[in-house]
Amino acid sequence: MPIDRRFGFAFSVAVLLAACAGNGEGLDQNGNPIGSGGSGGSGGSGSGAVTADLQSIEEHVFTPICSKCHIGGSAPEGLELDADHAYQDLVGVPSSEQPSVLRVKPGDPDLSYMVQKIEGAPGIVGSQMPLGEAPLPAATIAAIRQWVANGAPNVSTGAVMSQVFELRSTSPARGATVAPPVRQIVIAFTHEFDATLVNDTTVWLERAASPDATRPASAEDAGADEPVQRIAVSLMLNRHNPATLIVRPLEPLAPGRYRLRLRGSGGAALADLGASTLQGDRTIVFTVGAP
Amino acid sequence: MRRLLLGLLAVAGLIAGALRPAVAEPYLAVQFGMKCNQCHVNPTGGGLRTTFGDVLAQTVIPAEHLDTGAAPWTGELGTRYLRAGGDLRFDAQATQVPHSASVQEFSLEQARVYLEANVIPDRLLAYIDEQVAPGGSLNREAYVLFWTASHDWYVKAGQMYLPFGLRLQDQSAFVLTTTGINMTTPDQGVELGYEHGAWDAQLAVSNGTAGGAVKSDGKQYSLNAAYVHSAWRLGLAANENNQASGAKRAEGVFGGLRLGPVSWLAQAEITDDRSIPNGQGKQLATLLEADWLIARGHNLKITDEFLNPNRAVPNGEQTRWSVVYELTPIQFAQLRAGFRRNDGIPQDNLEHQRLYFIELHGYF
Repeated sequence: MPIDRRFGFAFSVAVLLAACAGNGEGLDQNGNPIGSGGSGGSGGSGSGAVTADLQSIEEHVFTPICSKCHIGGSAPEGLELDADHAYQDLVGVPSSEQPSVLRVKPGDPDLSYMVQKIEGAPGIVGSQMPLGEAPLPAATIAAIRQWVANGAPNVSTGAVMSQVFELRSTSPARGATVAPPVRQIVIAFTHEFDATLVNDTTVWLERAASPDATRPASAEDAGADEPVQRIAVSLMLNRHNPATLIVRPLEPLAPGRYRLRLRGSGGAALADLGASTLQGDRTIVFTVGAP
Repeated sequence: MRRLLLGLLAVAGLIAGALRPAVAEPYLAVQFGMKCNQCHVNPTGGGLRTTFGDVLAQTVIPAEHLDTGAAPWTGELGTRYLRAGGDLRFDAQATQVPHSASVQEFSLEQARVYLEANVIPDRLLAYIDEQVAPGGSLNREAYVLFWTASHDWYVKAGQMYLPFGLRLQDQSAFVLTTTGINMTTPDQGVELGYEHGAWDAQLAVSNGTAGGAVKSDGKQYSLNAAYVHSAWRLGLAANENNQASGAKRAEGVFGGLRLGPVSWLAQAEITDDRSIPNGQGKQLATLLEADWLIARGHNLKITDEFLNPNRAVPNGEQTRWSVVYELTPIQFAQLRAGFRRNDGIPQDNLEHQRLYFIELHGYF
């Protein structure tokens, strides 16, 4: 028999002897026995869209994709991403590849090494994750970013949505004095807000019109009865972080005292996707100093 | 004199090639009936090639050897004490997953640079394997290796790839991901090697954290032993990693067989990882690979893999098929075109991934 036919025959025999893929009977989306309470749980990689909570990310990403390698005592870089270890190995833990950067820095996806690795960001050490496979879909990465931006809570979506919708922080911060030029103001909420409710009746910026407008603002200084000048701004959504809103003045802010107003009361007030409104109106006062 | 020796080496390589032409990776060792350390500085394979391996790669492996009139590249940097080498893999690939948009991309898989300092020629060397792209620099191996005068024994200390079965190029092969012992998970420790006659054996003791922080006093023990005949080889591998979260054990058998122009590689292994919750750490993985040397510089690689991700539960098995055509037209350059098909349980789309790729592999 010619050698090439012998090869074909031998390989055909090997193929016939090879086992087939399982039919999945009795297993959940991640291959764990149904009802076993395994790391995959229900919902797995094949069902629905990933949402910005740890449970969903575990079921859609960590368990079916990452923990193929990142599991057990000899997981790469000591990072175990099964459901029992993912949170404790990620959140607030320095990266072993870049120890100065946390794997997950709650509230800051841009400075979270895990996010950088799955995005293949410049400056990472080694390869983009998942290794040897297609990059994660943009929607999946966006959900992970959102989870980090939300503070990387160790709770499910339902629990996140039950959190009070509140202002988390602003930049410039309340009472701060910053150097010009100020080209934008970033508002961070506790979680994703309803973008349809963002307009010039719910978010606006004022400049104090008094002669001592450049005096430093105090955190308590709302200046409610002070004459003001409304500043023209554009309100921009952050595509990387649906929990943040960017207020961009049409002109860089000149020196003076400013008030950022957020309306959380009345009709069509600022609210999250669960229709929970801000707990009242908010005013953030800051000062732009002299050049 | 050195040029004469290199010339003789090249001629020997060409003659060997005429008798048994070959292409790349572990099957090369099977096709040539050689141990890994014949062509690699690292006795367990991979990374910087030896002078013999460099000459072989230029004169025997490619379909055509472009004669530049210069002596073959041997990696020496102006002195016999310092040698360098490298590998670069650049891919154009498309990935398809059911019910998801397909992804097409160019991807620099990796660029690696190797450096060897022969502090005491043939006895003591320092070695570095550095991945320089993509991303920032990432050290893969950095060790000192000492050979006895007879070259029967060696001791290696530093960061290294652990010995376990076949050191395949495809790092996503089931037999490499199941054990977690591959070229993406080097560990820090000490390795004792025995290379005498047909025997090829290693025992390594390492931290067991794959480059991560040490969390306990537990250590990882790796044992690999093979009998290497010119036409076949058979080996056993065992690994135990004792970590605070639980011990992981792996045992495997691997081998190779040359039948005319076809080299067969096979590996089967079982793992029991007690650090994985819910008793899901009992796995079985197998690999069967055939490399058909159609003509010099032309290789067809067909791989069939099987994975039982949880031996305690039925119906969850996965398979993976690969067909890769490898063309090495001239020295230092290889083109690879391939298709990988994954199949698994119907309810997990990710287990039904299809990958199409064309890869440029440059090496020196």
